[in-house]
Amino acid sequence: MKIYDMDKKKYLTIQKFDNPTRKVEQLSDVLYHFENDIFKIIYDKSQPALVKYINSLDQDMLKQDDFQFLYFTSGTTGTPTGVYKTKQNSLKQSKALMKTLGDMKFKRVVTTVPFVHIYGVDIGGVMPLDLDLDVYTKENFLPEELAVEAQVEGTLIVTTPIFIKALNRIKKDVKFTNSLFLTATAPVPIEDAKEFKEHYDCSVMQLFASTETGLMGYKQDDESILNTYEGVSIGEDDGMLNISSPLVTQQIIKDKKLQDVIQPFQTEDIVEILDEHRFKLIGRSSNLAKIAGKRISTQQIENIIEMIDGIKSVLIKIKMDDRALKDEILNIYIEGDIELKGKMLREILKEHFGSINIPFKLHNHKKILRNSIGKKIGFE
Amino acid sequence: MKKVYGVKILVTTNDLKEKIIDGLGLEDIELDEIEDDMALFGEDGLGLDSVDAIELTLILEKEFGVKVTNMEESSSIFATPNTLVTYINEYKESSK
Repeated sequence: MKIYDMDKKKYLTIQKFDNPTRKVEQLSDVLYHFENDIFKIIYDKSQPALVKYINSLDQDMLKQDDFQFLYFTSGTTGTPTGVYKTKQNSLKQSKALMKTLGDMKFKRVVTTVPFVHIYGVDIGGVMPLDLDLDVYTKENFLPEELAVEAQVEGTLIVTTPIFIKALNRIKKDVKFTNSLFLTATAPVPIEDAKEFKEHYDCSVMQLFASTETGLMGYKQDDESILNTYEGVSIGEDDGMLNISSPLVTQQIIKDKKLQDVIQPFQTEDIVEILDEHRFKLIGRSSNLAKIAGKRISTQQIENIIEMIDGIKSVLIKIKMDDRALKDEILNIYIEGDIELKGKMLREILKEHFGSINIPFKLHNHKKILRNSIGKKIGFE
Repeated sequence: MKKVYGVKILVTTNDLKEKIIDGLGLEDIELDEIEDDMALFGEDGLGLDSVDAIELTLILEKEFGVKVTNMEESSSIFATPNTLVTYINEYKESSK
């Protein structure tokens, strides 16, 4: 397996990087650690709040030699969670995914995702390593560029729903007949998946996964029902999905402490279970937005804004815009004595979320309504 | 767009900014808050990110009929509203 740096137009060997910043360096460094069984902490260094949180932790506690990787995710309430994964977690995940690909044979992998999350590392890195497939990547892709790569026969594209939507919008007059697109991080709307299949004669396989659970289910093209991966058992508690599988983490860091994970692992995904191998995703816990594939806690943003002098209360509602690449827009309703300006909020959000530009619309001078136990229920 | 002898030929920075605000959902930003030489990406400017860059290429194609086909050239084209408008107008001129 080799790594092809599409920006510099040359191959890069698997090697250690002290401070990997470019995608190819991240991939090379992660695979170096993986091949040599060296523990590595993986997180998105472009998120200042996450970096600050990790630096505040007991550094001796973080290193656990029984594990291969420790991923840090932004967490469902805005407090980051550390998730340990073994080498076997990654390899079993790779095997489970390969099994669902059936007879399809690939000659190479093109990945648009960075190698600072489990999706990029396991699917864009470990699986190609396991299959001895070269990985082609570059810092930033345009839809036009990805269209060129996808036309190469036998290409497995590891990407996000953003590129499915973007390729649908440019409607390039080409076919990707002998390639396959894998997506994760957010669902591809059924209409988009159907349009993509019809126009490009190419399938999209959507992976349903999280850092804690690993792969849970998958579906292809315009299917609405998710199938579980081999070895994954599903259940539900009050409509929320829980998972038992060999891909689930055994240990996490939560509230700055190491905690063992007991299976079944409870997710925040609202589902309808059809049988032991099939389920439908209905939604997810309402205080989570996905902006460009990144999970953002609206509760965390409400808390951040409420820290500003002169602001009493904030309520955020998520508005959907299916055609936009960033398809979730935050409507932010503010009660307070001052008028919050967009520019100021953008600067504050950048301090917490780094380089991601969060789309929002401000509604100042509102009255936030609460129920009898103080929960925010609306505005006027 | 500016008109010269009744024929639409030039895209102005304000035309572009309107499309950026509308297309990227930056509804809280006023036209005059985006300066002509303000960096579109990065911490010191408008603060757009890599997904916005993709959206911007789609906006250029849809609204101005302009194609950007590789990221290498896009980094200089997308630097500021001024550089982007220069590219749009040169592209339109060369494809006449």
